[in-house]
Amino acid sequence: MFGIALLWIIPSLWVAETAFKPNPDIFSIPPKWLPSRLTTAHLGKLFASWPFGRWLLNSLILATLVTASSLIVSTLAAFSFARLQWPGRDALFLVILVFMLLPMEVSVIPLYFMMNSFRLLNTIYGAALPMIALPIGVFLLRQFFLNIPRDLEDAARIDGCSSWGVLTRVIIPNSTPVFAAYGMYIFNYTWNEFFWSLICLRSAQKVTLPVGLRLIQGAFEINYGLITSAAFMASLPSLVVFLILRQRIIRGIALSSGIKG
Amino acid sequence: MRAKIRGFLYRHRGLEGILYVLPFAALWGIFLAWPVGYGIYLSLFEWSPMQGSRFVGLENYIKLFGDARFLNALGNTFKFAAIAVPLILGLGLLFALMLWSWGRTRRGVGFIQAVLFFPYLLTVSTVAITWKWMFDPDFGLVTHAFKALKIAAPVFLTEPAWALPAIAFATAWWLAGYRMVVFQAGLGEIPQELFEVASIDGAVFHQKFLHIILPLLKPALLFSLVLTLISAFRTFGQALMMTEGGPGRSTEVLALYLYRTAFEYFNIGKAAASGVVLLVIMLVLTLIGVKLLGLKSELG
Repeated sequence: MFGIALLWIIPSLWVAETAFKPNPDIFSIPPKWLPSRLTTAHLGKLFASWPFGRWLLNSLILATLVTASSLIVSTLAAFSFARLQWPGRDALFLVILVFMLLPMEVSVIPLYFMMNSFRLLNTIYGAALPMIALPIGVFLLRQFFLNIPRDLEDAARIDGCSSWGVLTRVIIPNSTPVFAAYGMYIFNYTWNEFFWSLICLRSAQKVTLPVGLRLIQGAFEINYGLITSAAFMASLPSLVVFLILRQRIIRGIALSSGIKG
Repeated sequence: MRAKIRGFLYRHRGLEGILYVLPFAALWGIFLAWPVGYGIYLSLFEWSPMQGSRFVGLENYIKLFGDARFLNALGNTFKFAAIAVPLILGLGLLFALMLWSWGRTRRGVGFIQAVLFFPYLLTVSTVAITWKWMFDPDFGLVTHAFKALKIAAPVFLTEPAWALPAIAFATAWWLAGYRMVVFQAGLGEIPQELFEVASIDGAVFHQKFLHIILPLLKPALLFSLVLTLISAFRTFGQALMMTEGGPGRSTEVLALYLYRTAFEYFNIGKAAASGVVLLVIMLVLTLIGVKLLGLKSELG
């Protein structure tokens, strides 16, 4: 077991090591396992020639914006689908579900034209808008809300709560696990999103980390020191968050995978 | 004023439900549903920046299926899915079973799980950079490993026969850990008593696997199969960044073909048509999934 784990972690370790190796060590045969000395030259070059800090900030803004707005609109909609009665409710939910697994590939071309006419191309809003109303969010939250005992809602109604009161005083306080699970899911999804971001974000100042890495790679084909140091720096935030929230993230996946909960 | 609003909402309770859905439905309708419809519409036109667009009916589709480059991309996508999906699911299941039988209480389980899972959190760009470097024909670690074993290493990413499997392997490294966690959750749901009874009856491991684990894990397995297939058909970043679709066009998958046709050659109609083909494939896979899983029951 430890052997497999070691095998699995070697690529990441090697990238991290390459990021701090001086060039002669990177291109040596036989390979140098331990660098003769550590260097921050690649990192220095990265920050000098690319707006890496800006990319980090862009990614952070995009992921936060999408996560917050998605949680809000999905909660409202899921509450309505789970607990309120209105004509056409189940039909609309079914349509949204059918779209759940449809690929974004078919819609990127129309989206490109749309964002162009809204003047949102190459802005963080243009990148964010198509990622907010994900069917999976409404689906997960609705499943969870359905399992909250009806009695709680009835008691609140008798005490004079409106629907808004039921949502804010009964449903939301009892749904922390699913908010955490979906929040982490969508944050990770947005943080790593590549296809639409690559199309929407064009200038080097506006792009997010995944697209930024592509820019570096497109510019220097064989500068492994620079590109691995960029990959290492881009992965660092994920690594830190993972080390802190490991248990929660893994439990969240069990919850959102549709097997549990 | 507040009382008035409450009274109005009470009398029109149906309206209230719609109000709650409205923000989501609007965003979903404008940015997810409408573009899909508009994409299908665009696929029926020939688009040119000078003369504007012209309705051509199914001509784009006919052209598409006569285009060797498109057929090549379609074939590559199927080939990629055929290699990557079994690898991802197989490794995921293997890891889950190994950790599960190795004992949940043993020290180090959490650490091993974390290590196997971690690549999932990396962006596709990082995964591509990592494996491009691993597979580097002169200085890559994989090449060194083959040399150490005294086997002639194939030049993975620049040899047509090896490039696609190499990308599939990188993808498995990226995603298998996620499937492992899903399968672990499924395994955790199986009542321990079943195994105790089986042990008393003298069942050995492969019997327990065939008669207890597989049947009870079937929903999780099917669910994962459909989702992994769909993600395999959408593969884009790995192919773009590891090989640029090369050597030749041996790793140009459907999404990459679409991206280039639309945003490098500006052949909008044709690109939209290839998007619709991808959409149809997804739809078929989804329907098979719904059929297999009885997702309808989820609607309550």
